[in-house]
Amino acid sequence: MEIYLPVAEMSVNWLLVVALGTLVGFLSGMFGVGGGFLMTPLLVFTGIPSTVAVATTLSHVTASSMSGALAQWRKRAIDFTMAGVMLAGGVVGTLFGVWLFALMRRQGQMDLIVSLSYVVMLGSIGIIMLRESLTTLQAARSGVSVSRRLVNRGWIQALPFKMRFRQSRLYISVIPPIAIGFAVGALSAIMGIGGGFIIVPAMIYILRMPTNVVMGTSLTQIIAVTAITTVLQATSNYAVDIVLAGLLVAGGVVGAQLGVRAGARLRGEQLRLLLALRVLAVGAGLAWQLVAHPADVYSLSEGAP
Amino acid sequence: MKRTLLALLLLLTAFVLLPSPIGAGGAARAEDLVSGISQDIIQITSNYTGTNIVVFGAVEREPNTQSRDIVVVVRGPDEPMTVRRRDRIAGVWVNHDAARFEGLPAYYYLASTQPIARIAPREALDRYGIGLQSLRPTVIGSHHDPEPFRQAAIRYHQRVGLYAASPGSIDFLSETLFRTRVPVPAGVMRGQYNVEVYLFRDGQVVSAQSTPLFVDATGLERRLYNMAHDAPLSYGLACVFMAMLLGWISSVLFRRPA
Repeated sequence: MEIYLPVAEMSVNWLLVVALGTLVGFLSGMFGVGGGFLMTPLLVFTGIPSTVAVATTLSHVTASSMSGALAQWRKRAIDFTMAGVMLAGGVVGTLFGVWLFALMRRQGQMDLIVSLSYVVMLGSIGIIMLRESLTTLQAARSGVSVSRRLVNRGWIQALPFKMRFRQSRLYISVIPPIAIGFAVGALSAIMGIGGGFIIVPAMIYILRMPTNVVMGTSLTQIIAVTAITTVLQATSNYAVDIVLAGLLVAGGVVGAQLGVRAGARLRGEQLRLLLALRVLAVGAGLAWQLVAHPADVYSLSEGAP
Repeated sequence: MKRTLLALLLLLTAFVLLPSPIGAGGAARAEDLVSGISQDIIQITSNYTGTNIVVFGAVEREPNTQSRDIVVVVRGPDEPMTVRRRDRIAGVWVNHDAARFEGLPAYYYLASTQPIARIAPREALDRYGIGLQSLRPTVIGSHHDPEPFRQAAIRYHQRVGLYAASPGSIDFLSETLFRTRVPVPAGVMRGQYNVEVYLFRDGQVVSAQSTPLFVDATGLERRLYNMAHDAPLSYGLACVFMAMLLGWISSVLFRRPA
């Protein structure tokens, strides 16, 4: 059951890795997020060096997202214009992230900055989502229909460079999508994530895109960003393990398909409530790690800092 | 096992036939030590989960000596390492101080006939780098006491099984023949290792021998490793292509008849 990973230079139980891939792929298909932010810590937990975990998870995200995006594409639920605009910001963000990654690694503060930003981001996104989905669920139960279309978008409406996004039935400035794309690209390079857990809430709550195109569009954007980051990680850090990637991907694509089906049976509000709870749980876990007394206050990293 | 015994037999024959000592002892009196290893190359294949090598040898019988001890040290390639210490600042654990070391091995295993503190005094052990406490790396870029950081580095490697000491694990098969089993765990690095065998008499090294041991990947594993380092762009693109292809295939396979 053991298989040797040539780049990580270690052996792992391949059944365990395939199972991890399937589980994360399932969540990914269900919520339309890549699952990188779950996969990376899980891989590190099985003893895989964190650089390899970060770089290799990206391939898993690419595959899960591909599988999920094709399923959405058949339903015509992808806004390619929006994905393209976001990617323009994403490419610049990825390059910035790689630069920042190197800088933080030299300072030895990467773990802290990554954890802190995760806690702040997950905490705030999770709370906003939780509140909104609970309100909607309550309103639905009492028979009142809440139309999100009528909600005032405020400052977003005031921005220049407006563009029409036909699929999303939106006429908004390109600045917010580009800014979101940039942020997600940078995070992808730093944390080995696709950024779906940021893109999805941002599309719903900031851009006010209709929920049915959010999944497909975010997955399309994630495929592009993770593909670019994988190549950058392979050329700059030699940290992508193709054997590990293959195992994760094999499990991930099956899980993603099953997840899409499970997701189709849930209602939008329930889906968002579940995602909100998941985001909050990960954020709380990371916050605890920051303040809890570490098992060993010393940590070791190989190679030059 | 058969191979090891055969090698031992051959070694013994050679030892009897050739009177000149092979051991490179530093002492004035030539003490004879011959040693060998069961394999001088470890091939890492796709199902590699760690292995054992057997280090064996023979010492000349000295009827009137008091103590005779064997120490076997297996060292992996040296690797630069950075150790960081976290301190609590405003309730959050933050990496604060750091020390960089050069010259710490990636793998270190020690086998001896008895605890090394009983074999020789500290200075003698330090001179040959025998024992975990004798690992003295060069400290680079540290403006505080590097000792706790060095201890932490050793502790880390012990925890992951890459540093180990096992006193009393050398078996004497006869008066002159000894043998020990060295575990090579799954997490070892590729590179050149050294198997050092020391013969101690009365707290002094009288003879020593060093044999190189190579750990290398073979077949597909080697080709993939080489590709990742020699052609990283194609390697990265291959990863992305594989991921997209598998994603597409699964999507076709799972397509529901609409």
